[in-house]
Amino acid sequence: MAFQPSKSKKNLTKEEGTLNMNSMMDMMTIILLFLLKSFSTEGALVTPSEELRLPVSQQGEKPKKELNVTVSKTMILVNDQVVVPALNEIPKDQMIISPLAAKLAEYAQQEKDLEIEVGKEFTHEVNIQGDENLPFEILFKVMFTCSRTEFYKMRLVTIKKG
Amino acid sequence: MAYKPSMRGKGEFLDIELDIRPVMNLMVVLIPLLIASAEWVKLGVVEINAPPAKGPSGGAGEGENQDQAKEKEMKLGLKIAIAHDGITIGNAQALLEGEQGEGPTVPLTAEGKYDFELLKKKLIEIKKKIKGKGFKDEDRVVLTASADIEYQTIITVMDYVQTYEDENGDIVALFPQINFGSILQ
Repeated sequence: MAFQPSKSKKNLTKEEGTLNMNSMMDMMTIILLFLLKSFSTEGALVTPSEELRLPVSQQGEKPKKELNVTVSKTMILVNDQVVVPALNEIPKDQMIISPLAAKLAEYAQQEKDLEIEVGKEFTHEVNIQGDENLPFEILFKVMFTCSRTEFYKMRLVTIKKG
Repeated sequence: MAYKPSMRGKGEFLDIELDIRPVMNLMVVLIPLLIASAEWVKLGVVEINAPPAKGPSGGAGEGENQDQAKEKEMKLGLKIAIAHDGITIGNAQALLEGEQGEGPTVPLTAEGKYDFELLKKKLIEIKKKIKGKGFKDEDRVVLTASADIEYQTIITVMDYVQTYEDENGDIVALFPQINFGSILQ
C-alpha cells in the first residue's frame, strides 16, 4: 500500500524554477548567423518545377542574373514569358526558332538603347536553363538562335554536385 | 582620489534576470524567414563562348583576309561526336578508332552507358601529345551530338572534357574552350 501523503504543510512551499535559456540562445545565434551567410539578395534565379529539371554538373562558376532563356520539357520562355508554347511545333528543317529570335532581338534592341542612353554596357550574356532530357537538336537550335541575335556569350545553368 | 565605497549595508542584492523574451521573439521570426529564402540547391554555370555570328557588315574582303590568316596557323580542330553507339574523337583529317579497329573511339560500356572515364583517358593522351607543338587551338574542342542525345549527357561530357587531375592531384585544364558543332546526321 502506498504511503499516505504527509498532512503537514511543510512541503507546500513551491520551488520557484526558471528555465535556463542560455544554451537555446547560443543555438539560435549560430543558426541565425549561418542563415544570414547563405542569404542571397539576388532572389531566386530558377523556379524549380516538374517541367524543368536542370542537369547536374561537377563544375561551374557562380551564376549571375542575366537574360534567361528557359527551355522546359514543353515550352520555351524568355524571362518567364512564354515565347514558344509547344516544342514539337518547331519546324525540323529550320535552324532558327523564329518567335524566340524575334523576342531576343527585342531584348537586344532594348539593351542597345540602354547602352546609348544611360551607358549600361550590353554584355551579350544569356543564361540558358534547359531540362535534362532536352534533345540536342532543340538545345542546338536555341543556342544558334541566341548567337544570331547578338547574345553570343551563353551560359548553361546547371545544378552543382557536391 | 576616488571615494571609498560605503560600507553601510544596502540590504540584499536584487536578483534581476535579463529579459530575453524580445530577443527570442526576434529569432523566432527571423529564422523561418531566412530558412525560407535560403538557397538549398547550388547552381553553377558552364560558359560557352560562341563566336559572334557573322553579320552583314563583315565585308567579303575582310573574310578572305581572315581565311588567309587562318591558313598560316596550325589548327588541331579536335571534335567529339556523341552518338547512340558511343563517343568518337577526331578532327578534319582523321578519326580516332576504337580498340577493335572500327566503330566509335569510346564505345558504350557493358551496361549500355557512355564510358566517360575512357573518353577522359583518350583525351588526356591527345592533350599530352599535342602539348607544346604550337597548335593555336590546343584548348578548344568542338562538341557535336546526334539530334536526340539528352542534354544531361552533353553536360556530363563537358564536365569530363574541361579538366582533369594530373599525377600530382592538381586539377589541370584539358580542353576548357568548348564550341558546339552542327547536329550529327
